[in-house]
Amino acid sequence: MKELIQDLVQIAGPSGYEADVREYVQKDLKGHVDEMKVDPLGNLITRKGPKDGSGLNVMLAAHLDEIGVIVTHLDDNGFARFTTVGGVFPRNTVGARVKFLNGTGGVIGMEPTGYSSVTPINQMYIDVGVTKKSEMPVKVGDVAAFERTFEDLGKRLVSKALDDRVGVAVLIEIMKQLKDTPHNVFGVFTVQEEVGVRGAAAAAYGVDPDLGIAIDVTLTGDTPKAKTMDVSLGKGPAIKVKDSGMISDPRVVAWMEAGAKRARIPYQKEILTGGSTDARAIQITREGVPAGCVSIPCRYVHSPSEMVDYKDVQDSVKLLVQLLKRPIKL
Amino acid sequence: MTNSKDLLNKMINAPGLSGHEAPIQSIVEEAWKPLADELNTSKLGSLHALQRGTGKEPRPSILIATHMDAIGLMVSNVTDGFLRVSEIGGIDHRVLPGQSVTVHCVEGDLPGVIVQPPEHTLAKENRGGPVPLDGLWVDVGLSPRQVARQIDIGDLVSFASDAVEMGDTLTGHSLDNRASVAALTEALTMLQKRPHHWDVWAVATTQEEETLGGALTSAFELRPTLAIAIDVTFAKGPGSTGHDTFPMNKGPVLGWGPNIHPKLFGELKSAADRLEMAYKKEPLPGMSGTDAITLQVAASGAPTAVISIPLRYMHTPVEMVHTKDITRVARLLTEFIAELDEDFLDKIKWQEEEN
Repeated sequence: MKELIQDLVQIAGPSGYEADVREYVQKDLKGHVDEMKVDPLGNLITRKGPKDGSGLNVMLAAHLDEIGVIVTHLDDNGFARFTTVGGVFPRNTVGARVKFLNGTGGVIGMEPTGYSSVTPINQMYIDVGVTKKSEMPVKVGDVAAFERTFEDLGKRLVSKALDDRVGVAVLIEIMKQLKDTPHNVFGVFTVQEEVGVRGAAAAAYGVDPDLGIAIDVTLTGDTPKAKTMDVSLGKGPAIKVKDSGMISDPRVVAWMEAGAKRARIPYQKEILTGGSTDARAIQITREGVPAGCVSIPCRYVHSPSEMVDYKDVQDSVKLLVQLLKRPIKL
Repeated sequence: MTNSKDLLNKMINAPGLSGHEAPIQSIVEEAWKPLADELNTSKLGSLHALQRGTGKEPRPSILIATHMDAIGLMVSNVTDGFLRVSEIGGIDHRVLPGQSVTVHCVEGDLPGVIVQPPEHTLAKENRGGPVPLDGLWVDVGLSPRQVARQIDIGDLVSFASDAVEMGDTLTGHSLDNRASVAALTEALTMLQKRPHHWDVWAVATTQEEETLGGALTSAFELRPTLAIAIDVTFAKGPGSTGHDTFPMNKGPVLGWGPNIHPKLFGELKSAADRLEMAYKKEPLPGMSGTDAITLQVAASGAPTAVISIPLRYMHTPVEMVHTKDITRVARLLTEFIAELDEDFLDKIKWQEEEN
């Protein structure tokens, strides 16, 4: 699965511009699912399992998009001003490299504002290595993703865009491994999560599921002087109880916990005080959907060097596969 | 009224935090059963009670939403037998130290108290003022081993203090928004004896304090013609005297703003005038902060209004309301609903606004 993750994180796909990531997933899943379609917003909806079986319509969602930047202005000397796509932290941005969808590379610089405080985004610029506006290989409205190599540290993986390509990899594996499920399982690869869970809202309306589960990353409390949070890298998938956008359905939490215990998969319970996932949108779709989330613990989320534990990733696949193999009674 | 007071007392002493409304839902269900022609539960746990109208089918319907979920706390960490908590909904954390709470565990409920560390042990920036929530602990008086065995991350913590009646005022936790559930229950009782053309869907919504998702999904399911949210608003009290506060025992407060259909507001005003009931107008220039936000835009949308009960000390365990305001809201609702006729929608057509 490491290769799959490595391939996925290296594709650029800021919110709204997920096409390349989506195409990769389409190719990779070909022959492994019963149906595949792309909805009008760009969500990739795959389906597997008996349509009229004894089971539920289950929607699993992992988002294709990543945070990035978008050009707002080109100045006469060939510098591009930009704004953020999704939750980009200014403190992680100076010195970062970006890659535009047309292949242009650039580096982010800042006006001399002093190094003691964080420089705001509007005092930064992208330098693409030219000296005149007329030579600029990018224009206003072009988007770029952060660029950083993938590092395999053995137990742990480091890269940009692990949020949420690691979730995408987990969902791909689940769709491949699911064989005899009684459920009609929709593996949905969503767009525009980072700008307000927009893809999942439309996809859930279309799929109209009985149960919704997001697969995404969550923060941890296991780094020096971290804010109190009982999630650590390497202690297993996190079953979300609450985040700042939703309260998981208590029945879904109990179902996941029972499944983890039965299969002897280590797990943690997650209360996230900042951030949310596609599950938020799924839960309040149509007449309401029982919803929850399996989170992969991740350090340095929304930086160009996010870190996950590889065993947590594998266990997330295991947990969901064994949950979906059996009948579900909430 | 006595019944209503008893019900309200029972309701505000019950847990039922956002997303975990089962304990309060069963109480409301029991109260609404004799008042409803039909009763069902939404996928997110909201309770729907239908009182059929006498008009010919297909009948228009009005949805009245009162959220039954309450704010509270959730265990986020266990260290050496003490609990760290995070909030469900927005809590005024300044009043937390010293409160008694109930920790709801799988094996049953445990009593606990919220405590703060001694002043001199606090980080400098936290001295001399209220300790932030992440600096407080819940102590359940058990050994670290017992705590580790019984309490889990994600367990709910609710306020344990009982309601207190003080003349015609009532104080306790969760009056936001169970005072409104009580008002709606009173209205349903009155409407049983007063014929009405329209179908009435009384809805006790879930998750208002977190996502407004209960109201959104119930309105999608029930597709009402009109929708009204009943909630609480800031009452005048010590230090709370501005133009954006409203006196207790001076009648309902009618919301006014983009979340409220201007003509529907006008019709509610007329209903209050017919009853010779005093009311106040509350400008809500943006979102109303109530279930009306999602009621308005669910499915293809519905004209919405907001009626509020003035309440002191919001989002603390000693919220306070005047019980007569509850009955006034019930009477206003009853008058408004009973006078809805087949031509009502013609009265609220989008035209020039009348204020």
